[in-house]
Amino acid sequence: MNPHIIGIFEEEEELISALNIIRNKNIEITEVFTPYPIHEVIKIMKRKTKLQIATFLYAAFGLVLSYVFIYWTSVISYPLTYGGKPYHAIPSFIIICFVTTICVAILLSVITFFIRSRLYPGKTPTIIDHRITDNAFVILINIQPETPSDEIETINSLLMKNGAVEVIEK
Amino acid sequence: MYEANIRAPLVKGNKTYHQITEDICKPLETKPGLWWYITLFLSLCALAIGSWALYVTLNDGLGVWGLNNTVGWGWGIINFVWWIGIGHAGTAFSIFLLILGQKWRTSINRAAEAMTVVAVMCAGVFPIIHMGRPIIGFFVFPYPNDRGPLWINFNSALTWDVAAIPTYLMASAMFFYIGMIPDLATIRDRTTSKVKKAIFSFFSFGWVGSSRDWLRFETLSWLLAGLMAALVVSVHSIVAMDFASSILPGWHTTIFPPYFVVGAILSGFSMVLTLMIIIRKIYKFQDYVTDSHINAICKILVFISLIMGTAYTTELFITWYSGNEYEMFTFFHNRVTGEYNSAFWIMIFSNAIIPQLFWFKKIRKKLFIVFLISILINVGMWFERYVIVITSLTKDLLPSNWADYSPTKVEIGIFIGTLGFFVMCLLLFFKYLPMIAISEVKGVLRSNNNKNLKRKIS
Repeated sequence: MNPHIIGIFEEEEELISALNIIRNKNIEITEVFTPYPIHEVIKIMKRKTKLQIATFLYAAFGLVLSYVFIYWTSVISYPLTYGGKPYHAIPSFIIICFVTTICVAILLSVITFFIRSRLYPGKTPTIIDHRITDNAFVILINIQPETPSDEIETINSLLMKNGAVEVIEK
Repeated sequence: MYEANIRAPLVKGNKTYHQITEDICKPLETKPGLWWYITLFLSLCALAIGSWALYVTLNDGLGVWGLNNTVGWGWGIINFVWWIGIGHAGTAFSIFLLILGQKWRTSINRAAEAMTVVAVMCAGVFPIIHMGRPIIGFFVFPYPNDRGPLWINFNSALTWDVAAIPTYLMASAMFFYIGMIPDLATIRDRTTSKVKKAIFSFFSFGWVGSSRDWLRFETLSWLLAGLMAALVVSVHSIVAMDFASSILPGWHTTIFPPYFVVGAILSGFSMVLTLMIIIRKIYKFQDYVTDSHINAICKILVFISLIMGTAYTTELFITWYSGNEYEMFTFFHNRVTGEYNSAFWIMIFSNAIIPQLFWFKKIRKKLFIVFLISILINVGMWFERYVIVITSLTKDLLPSNWADYSPTKVEIGIFIGTLGFFVMCLLLFFKYLPMIAISEVKGVLRSNNNKNLKRKIS
């Protein structure tokens, strides 16, 4: 890992106020680790996702795919009359298309989630501090080789002043 | 709504984040009590009985069941619908309450989701063995074949089931698993055993809880919840249409899809209640599954039970109002007063009348009575399916077709086997996985703890 400073907090409120202050000082925060999702953190870090758009597109794809497939099997490939219904029996295609649309959308969304988050079985995590999944809220700030030492000092004192219980420089 | 000052805190006992982790991980890190081994042994015995019954069915064919030409669907389908019902509401609980922004779901959703996955697996056994020759069960899927290719009938509700139930199983298993990844990471980071660390490391997918991950995680949870809410409703509607699209009196009604969905939610919620009372008692999770959680589930049950009561009454009313003599016969002569009337009245009492006791605060506070009622609702829901399947099939439109039905020990054995499987899986879940969503409980701790409430009041 790059050289970095981490500030460990024990309370959500302190973390958020510290984040706001550091942001206002124009210091770039690399990442924030929390034991549970905090909306303010996501907002402050300006994190955005397009997963919902992807899901919508997957659903549209699933709908088209299932409808075309059912149309092809029932009308083109092997037309067969069931219960006097027309080959192209739209009402009875609706439900199965609905279910397969959801199936495709869920499956592809989950795959996208894992690929985008780079999560996979057996991945070795880079654990900044073993308490991040328990009770620690961690601010990670990467330090560049050219960063002046007085700026590092400022970051350290900012973290300490704003409620960090521990500041570690690595 | 839940943040109103009059509401009790979601997590009692002024817990810290670390205490929550400690409390919920405790069952994973300590040896289970004697009760766990005894129940596991009993569930394995039940599973052994089920395996024997399954072997006999597969070896000798469906002739070993009590089915005949008239009653082609017996306990197999009853149990299928019963398990699917239980399986539905588990996730429905977790998902509907997520969409409705009900924070009190957090202590309960994990167990409800686990229950769902296992219950749907139990349900899945029945249609497969009911095929008679499960070895060619893949015929139900549309695949290129050298018979034309002859495709499956996409107009049939049974085919919709084939698409819906595996989708539901897959989706609920994914929802359950993905929701658990942060908690698996928690266990990975706190365990001292090397083997455990390796296992949880593998299954926690390298989760570290960065803001980026949490955003995607939350977005995915909402997306899955939105899609699955629609799926939950459609799956049980499709199961209902397996019945409703036939022309049998008692089945051929438009009320079936909503009636089945509500029935599923009733049985699932009561199973959640049964399970939560057990978990709370045995693992001493009173601080997480508080009295107000139980209270809230009871109130929901009253509401759903009222809908069920309305559905039962509507069925009877429409029968009389339609003036259809076959319907009149099925409902009034066969169900209400006929030879299966005890099943009908058990259904009415357990599903529509007994849950009305939850109107009284005194009853809602007595956990033992709540527990008994939750069991009774599950029994009642089983009898509901029994009434629907058996009374309509034994006496159809032609009296010359009429035949009696009683299950053989093989059918009963399979049912016992699924019960054993369900209990076994839940016991393993209690022991090896966090049964309360650690990260989600931490998320609601500050929003609703005592301190916060005091601040609001002052």
